[in-house]
Amino acid sequence: MIEFKNVQINYGDFVAVKNLNLNVREREFFTLLGPSGCGKTTTLRSLVGFVHPSQGEIFLNGENITSLPVEKREVSMVFQSYALFPTLDVYENIAFGLKVKKVPKQEIDREVRDMAAKVDLSEEQLKKKVSELSGGQQQRVAIARALVLKPRILVLDEPLSNLDARLRVQLRRELKNLQKQFGITAIYVTHDQEEALTLSDRIAVFNKGVVEQVGTPKEIYSHSETEFVCNFIGDINRLETPVVKELNEQMGGGYLEHDRHYVRMERVHTRQWQGGKEASVLKLTGRVEDAEFYGVYTKYSFLVNGTVIKNIEREDGRAPHNIGDEVDIYIDIHDVMTYRERHSYAVDQ
Amino acid sequence: MQWINKWKGAASTKLAGLLIALFFAWFIVSFLIYPNVNLLKTTFIIDGSLSLEAVNKLVSSSRAVQSLINSFLLAVSLVMTVNIVGIFLVLVMNYFDIKGIRVLSLGYYTTLIYSGVVLVAGYKFLYGEQGFLTNLLAGIFPGFDTGWFTGYGAVLFVMTFAITSNHVIFLSNAIKKVDYQTIEAAKSMGASDFYIIRRVVLPALKPTIFAVTILIFLIGLSATSAPLIVGGQEFQTINPMILTFAKSVTSRDIAAILSIVLGIATMVLLMFMQRMENNGNFISVSKVKSTIKKQKIENKWANALVHIAAYLLFVIYALPVVLIIIFSFTDTFSIENATLALDHFTLDNYLLLFTDFSAFRPYFISIAYSAASAFIVVMITLLVSRILQRHKNIYTQLLEYSMMIPWLLPSTLIALGLILTYDKPNSLLGNQVLTGSVWMLLVAYIIVQLPFTLRMLKAAFFTIDHSLEEAAKNLGASSMYTFRRILLPVILPSTLAVMVLNFNNMLADYDLTVFLFQPLLEPLGIVIKSSTDPQASTDAKALMLVYSVVLMVISSVALYFVYGRKSK
Repeated sequence: MIEFKNVQINYGDFVAVKNLNLNVREREFFTLLGPSGCGKTTTLRSLVGFVHPSQGEIFLNGENITSLPVEKREVSMVFQSYALFPTLDVYENIAFGLKVKKVPKQEIDREVRDMAAKVDLSEEQLKKKVSELSGGQQQRVAIARALVLKPRILVLDEPLSNLDARLRVQLRRELKNLQKQFGITAIYVTHDQEEALTLSDRIAVFNKGVVEQVGTPKEIYSHSETEFVCNFIGDINRLETPVVKELNEQMGGGYLEHDRHYVRMERVHTRQWQGGKEASVLKLTGRVEDAEFYGVYTKYSFLVNGTVIKNIEREDGRAPHNIGDEVDIYIDIHDVMTYRERHSYAVDQ
Repeated sequence: MQWINKWKGAASTKLAGLLIALFFAWFIVSFLIYPNVNLLKTTFIIDGSLSLEAVNKLVSSSRAVQSLINSFLLAVSLVMTVNIVGIFLVLVMNYFDIKGIRVLSLGYYTTLIYSGVVLVAGYKFLYGEQGFLTNLLAGIFPGFDTGWFTGYGAVLFVMTFAITSNHVIFLSNAIKKVDYQTIEAAKSMGASDFYIIRRVVLPALKPTIFAVTILIFLIGLSATSAPLIVGGQEFQTINPMILTFAKSVTSRDIAAILSIVLGIATMVLLMFMQRMENNGNFISVSKVKSTIKKQKIENKWANALVHIAAYLLFVIYALPVVLIIIFSFTDTFSIENATLALDHFTLDNYLLLFTDFSAFRPYFISIAYSAASAFIVVMITLLVSRILQRHKNIYTQLLEYSMMIPWLLPSTLIALGLILTYDKPNSLLGNQVLTGSVWMLLVAYIIVQLPFTLRMLKAAFFTIDHSLEEAAKNLGASSMYTFRRILLPVILPSTLAVMVLNFNNMLADYDLTVFLFQPLLEPLGIVIKSSTDPQASTDAKALMLVYSVVLMVISSVALYFVYGRKSK
């Protein structure tokens, strides 16, 4: 539905986005994820029309929209700050775009009330000033204001980033529900990996203006294609040389010491588990160095062959480890992600 | 068809842009640059060659040289006295626990609602030759010199109490931002009250004190109404001298060079301040500040002393205001003899103001000039701010800097530049003569208000969340529609506030007005000043009192409108 073709975006000498090729499908919740300054917001803004690519083209349903002005693209945006107009009330905010289009008054009224009902804004709330609304209500107004124009695409630029943690989780759920309910294609920008994993159908991970990987949350997380992706998403252990040596000994070789090998924390086990075949499991011994208690789980650091390996253990009432304990550690080699020194690509599986 | 419309649209925006650019180019050259350059030219270039004759004339005029010395003397003295009084006031109002401070503060705030020529006239009414207090003292001590309140001491006294407003506003704000935890930390380490003030509080206020000091120095240098009214023969400063010299054509060049000296001093000081601000500002490191709590002075004697000083200052501040208000309700006999008696109270003075148009006329003239200039300035600066917000290039930089020129120059120099440049037909103004016309004062009022207004409105524009504009664009609104429906309403409160402050500032202006007013249209400041002349009629004095009271009311309302409602 949306296609970025060889798009490059420059700010003066700085290349913000480099040779971008991306396809977004109809009704997809698609997230652009990456650290700040990686080009994700720039990409989003090029889709809306606030910035213009210096090379390449953007297609929307097969139509080239690269040089189309903002107001003709039918791409509605929800801003980081929501950008609700403070001097207008809720009703006027939602009606703004329709009024600009010179839609007849009765029709505006019908559309606004219709939309307000869909996003659960009451009759009284419509008359309120936007500053009198809670964060969640403001988000719904921002979405209503964007959707009332019946756009082809809804784009959201970190709409949850300046809220506190609890509200963020609640609004995340609400946002996802609204997107499903309206069946609209949504492009979402965030630097929060948890947000990206929970919300998205697919994710594009950006780094320094380049897309490192596009995939479903599970693919991105469990089969990170690049070292950057594997480090950016989730906490991870890098297996140091002594451990790699041990690995080669037990598995009969195949792991180059100058490559980089990683394993996710929750894939480091201290109890022999059911599923794994014995042959593919690496067994190590370590001493408990440190324990950080988080409530639901505890993060342990083990000293293994002089290097540190961390894991997390669910606090499910089973006997915990004590600092100083000698513990057996199991890692399934399928969970090891390996990247070559220079060209970082996955060689697992 | 559609592309024709589009082309027309694009062409008309281009044309509008060109017209706006042309307007600003003309405005900047005609009013902000050329008059000042021309002033330099007419002073230093005679018959086409560089000449220092004006300098010679200045040096050989002992009065002019004396006025220069006096101005610097006054400025230096004021820096000391105003800082002592001002810092004391700020500590008493915000830091120490003083009994009855709410009432005392009202007294200290009076300079916010009456200042300039009105304040000096009020002090003269109290301390002058036939003043209320002078009469009182003369009654107690026979042979008391009734002409005591004149010269250097009198000017210094009046101005010291007149210009603590900057302390009361800026320094109070700064002290409220001092992190109270640093004071508690010092206390916990055993520091005494005054040690904490010296080592913790005042150092945190240093940048503000420094800025305020520069302002005091500048105000001292360009003092006009105080030396004119209470300076007497022996203590005249630069501006009154410029006024005297500017009146005759033969000595105009001395006036010009005096104003240039003043201008250079001003520029040097302001640049110095700018530099200090740029590299010398300390930054508070605390993330969680706690608000300051009033400190009780532990030492009994120190406490008593501070209380006595605070109440004494209250009397000095409040007395002129109270007496002006009281005497405005008395008849000419009481005003003439500066005595109070119950049977001499009357409303006649007020009735006169509102029934006799000739009495109201100065008000009418001043209101018209102030309102018109305040409105026009806001219109111009709104446009400039919008341009600055949307475009950033060398031309807009130039535009901004040009608009700030009047900030660098004393108003006397601006006034003289206008007078000397537009006293003959000039092609820049379509060969109209501006000097002596009704328009002169309006033009000058607009010029001097530009820098402050632009600073405020630009700040207002730049604090608007940029995504509001993008959101409007994303929803299909044109740039004009966005400005009208979204941006203007957002900045309207600050715009109105700036307009009200400007109006209030110009309403009783004397220092600039005296150079430029059209003789048949005497504004308020001029009329109030004349009422302090020894030969002024008692009726004029009575009207002065009424003018002052009404001005105080207007200022109070204006300040309440701007600041008062926000704090709720």
